[in-house]
Amino acid sequence: MTTAHAEPANGTLPHEPEKATLEGRNKVLAFWLFLGGEAVLFGTLFATFLALRNQTNEGPSANELFHLPLVAAATFILLVSSLTSVFAIQAMHRGRVAQLRNWLLLTVLLGLGFLGLEIYEFAEYIRHENFGMTTSAFSSAFYTLVGFHGAHVAFGILWIAVLIGQLARKGLTVVTAPKIYVSAMYWHFIDVVWVFIFTVVYLLGKVG
Amino acid sequence: MATEQHSQEGVVKHRHRHEGPQKHIVVFIFSIVLTLIAFAAVAAGGVNPAFAVVLLLVMAVLQVFVQMGFWMHLKDRGHLIPIIFMIGGFFVAGTSIIMALYWVWWD
Repeated sequence: MTTAHAEPANGTLPHEPEKATLEGRNKVLAFWLFLGGEAVLFGTLFATFLALRNQTNEGPSANELFHLPLVAAATFILLVSSLTSVFAIQAMHRGRVAQLRNWLLLTVLLGLGFLGLEIYEFAEYIRHENFGMTTSAFSSAFYTLVGFHGAHVAFGILWIAVLIGQLARKGLTVVTAPKIYVSAMYWHFIDVVWVFIFTVVYLLGKVG
Repeated sequence: MATEQHSQEGVVKHRHRHEGPQKHIVVFIFSIVLTLIAFAAVAAGGVNPAFAVVLLLVMAVLQVFVQMGFWMHLKDRGHLIPIIFMIGGFFVAGTSIIMALYWVWWD
């Protein structure tokens, strides 16, 4: 038992450690309920945005404002980070703690990259385009929707970073595994929301 | 790959099947292609706006469907309740959006 923590894959940790305990299964199930609620939250923000997206109040319109290369880069970064978090969970299922930590670290770094681009984008709009939170109904709806998503990314980064620390301290156990699994679900959901944001906000904004 | 092997020693050392990265890489490439189609359709310009809206929404829904199915494992067994949760969430979200589009601007 003394080496159990060093080599959890060696028959000491179940195949899917996140679902090995009732508590773990409950966490995953409850997190799906939370994600259903998140879908409602973002749905209402999308609804508000769609209702107000042409109310520019003589400020910049979506078509004048958005630069597709920046959005494409952010999209690519987030999509890759979703893949790295899949790989993190696959490493977890194999009990490979070092690999798991590295994939999580890469996910956090990509998340920081995405967040950096978004902060740069917002700063450009505010400083050079006179497009602030109170410029128009369109700007308020835009910053609320995209900013809410950015806040989710920021929270996800903090969350996964804390889990990396906990993984180093406590190792991979049936207690830490559900936390990591659930954080990966959250991260995928953030990516799913972004798919709708780049489509509805940016691309449809360019189409008109 | 699909079989569950047990080691010869007969001890607790089970070798369960682990899914490889292949299908997740396929999902990733699929997502990239759908994203590229969406961006290219807009960047090229000259696409009929009505057609572009439909094309973009189809690309987005397809991508979300595949990612939630494979990356969030909704296609796997034992995910009926999560699917019900998500359908419930998307139903309310969709209702809000329809409300905003067709009711707020109803003239």
